Amino acid sequence: MITAHHYLAVAAMLFGIGLAGALTRRNSILVLMSIELMLNAANLNLVAFGRQAGWEQGSQAALWVMCAIAIAAAESGVGLALILAIYRHRRSAHLDESPPLKG
Amino acid sequence: MNAILTMPEMAVTALALGLLVLDLWTPADRKGDLGIAAIGGLALILAGSFLFGAGAPQYAFGGMYVLDGMALFFKRLMLGVGVVALAAALEYSKRFAAGTAEYCALILLAVSGMMWAASANHWALLFVSVELMTVTFYVLVSFERTRMPSLEAGVKYLILGALASAFLVYGVALVFGGTGTLGFAGDSGPGLGTGSVLVRVGLALVLAGLGFKIGMVPCQFWAPDVYQGAPAPTAALLAAGSKAAGFALLLRVLLEAAPDWALEMRPVLMLIAGASILYGNLCAIPQRNLKRLLGYSSIAHAGYMLLGIVVLERAGAAAILFYLAGYACAVLAAFLVAALAFDPGEPEEIPALAGLHRRSPYLAAALALSMISLAGIPPLVGFFGKFLLLKGVVLAAFDSRSFGWLAGVALAGIVTSFYYYFGVVRAIYWSAPAAERPPIAVSRVAGAALGACLVGIVAAGVFPSPLLEAARLAAGALRIP
Repeated sequence: MITAHHYLAVAAMLFGIGLAGALTRRNSILVLMSIELMLNAANLNLVAFGRQAGWEQGSQAALWVMCAIAIAAAESGVGLALILAIYRHRRSAHLDESPPLKG
Repeated sequence: MNAILTMPEMAVTALALGLLVLDLWTPADRKGDLGIAAIGGLALILAGSFLFGAGAPQYAFGGMYVLDGMALFFKRLMLGVGVVALAAALEYSKRFAAGTAEYCALILLAVSGMMWAASANHWALLFVSVELMTVTFYVLVSFERTRMPSLEAGVKYLILGALASAFLVYGVALVFGGTGTLGFAGDSGPGLGTGSVLVRVGLALVLAGLGFKIGMVPCQFWAPDVYQGAPAPTAALLAAGSKAAGFALLLRVLLEAAPDWALEMRPVLMLIAGASILYGNLCAIPQRNLKRLLGYSSIAHAGYMLLGIVVLERAGAAAILFYLAGYACAVLAAFLVAALAFDPGEPEEIPALAGLHRRSPYLAAALALSMISLAGIPPLVGFFGKFLLLKGVVLAAFDSRSFGWLAGVALAGIVTSFYYYFGVVRAIYWSAPAAERPPIAVSRVAGAALGACLVGIVAAGVFPSPLLEAARLAAGALRIP
């Protein structure tokens, strides 16, 4: 029997993997992908909780997840455009090569 | 259904979209007129927002959206900030190869996101409005795509912003799991039940996500780099508008939705406030770049405003609203001068301001006034705002010793900040320029916008009572259970 706890455990794992990737990877595209994993972990949580909460709240949670997916797509669209613009300048998608701004 | 309440936001969004459509039929040499039209339209919406009275809170979209005194106060503040930012953008966009109308439209969309945020009464509206604002800012920050620092700042803002959004959504998911509702209020009146572990962890993650918006420690790493790299009008909007939207949401979440949790977390919030004040002020001391200095000082100002939250009272919220209005005037004036006083592509170094009072006495006086207000010298508005915030903390210190420490830290921070703010003033008036540079011509629109900021700084400092009354009224609308 798969209960809400199983979904939560998977989501927490996804979130952890995403966070680790976002913090350790130097390639900006990989970082974006990791952040996408974190967002999807949250969506999985919402759907699991929504199923538990019944029809009324569950449908609200499902609607939220639709919004979150669309927004995440917009975010990665802008992100990829930015990475492409940087790539044109210095032929690399790495985050730490010759940064003109001090950290 | 009360969709009429959302008229101001809808109008701003329509203005942005209309601007983009009109841009198709406007010849290249007339693009500036579109910017003027945008400023006029936004000013009209600002005037129209006074048609809404601050009566009892009204709800739309099934309680997702609330229009109360606080939402109205924030909306007017954001519309005013938008008008000044557009005036700066109109001046600054002369150095872009193309894209004046797009830049103005993006500023309008960011303003509409901030206005939705001011009315959020539901986690979904909170998230969508924050994202509307943030995704727009990714583009606004990296808009000068031929300049590497602007792109660098954009990527930094993008990655840290997306990370903050991920924390925010995960936190909201946990809060939903714990309370079973996506609204800010539980079944039994205002305030969520915050007993379970899920809700507590979720709210902590939400605090981290919103803390990114206001630039508080430990979510502040983006601020100096992004302020330095972004185009000056974007940085102005970030400092004055995005921070205000962040505080609007923090006030709603901490004081209305989860007051029990906020009370429990008070020591942590106090620690964050003190650390932000110290970090911002100490790191600002060695800075040579004007925009980077303002970035560090914005962290310190976020810390000062958190002092109004830790007292967890209406008076503290009123002090935050007053301070935000004064801070917006001062920081907008500073960034306007940063947009006008430097040549395209020139880094905004403070020593390069030497001789500014001969090149343009108006700009020099404006920058000096804004620095003095940010430092908090009477009789300017920054002094009165800091006084109000500190008053709340000092009064609370009679009950608990830790508030006394916090007040001490804040005072030490304020005194430290005199050093670097007056460094800027000294550079303007008392240093010898390396080479004689031509005088600066200030256009009528930019001059008027700068004048409005200066009037705000001086008038709200000398006669604080009207603004203070408005802030008190707005904070009175907070439904603190």
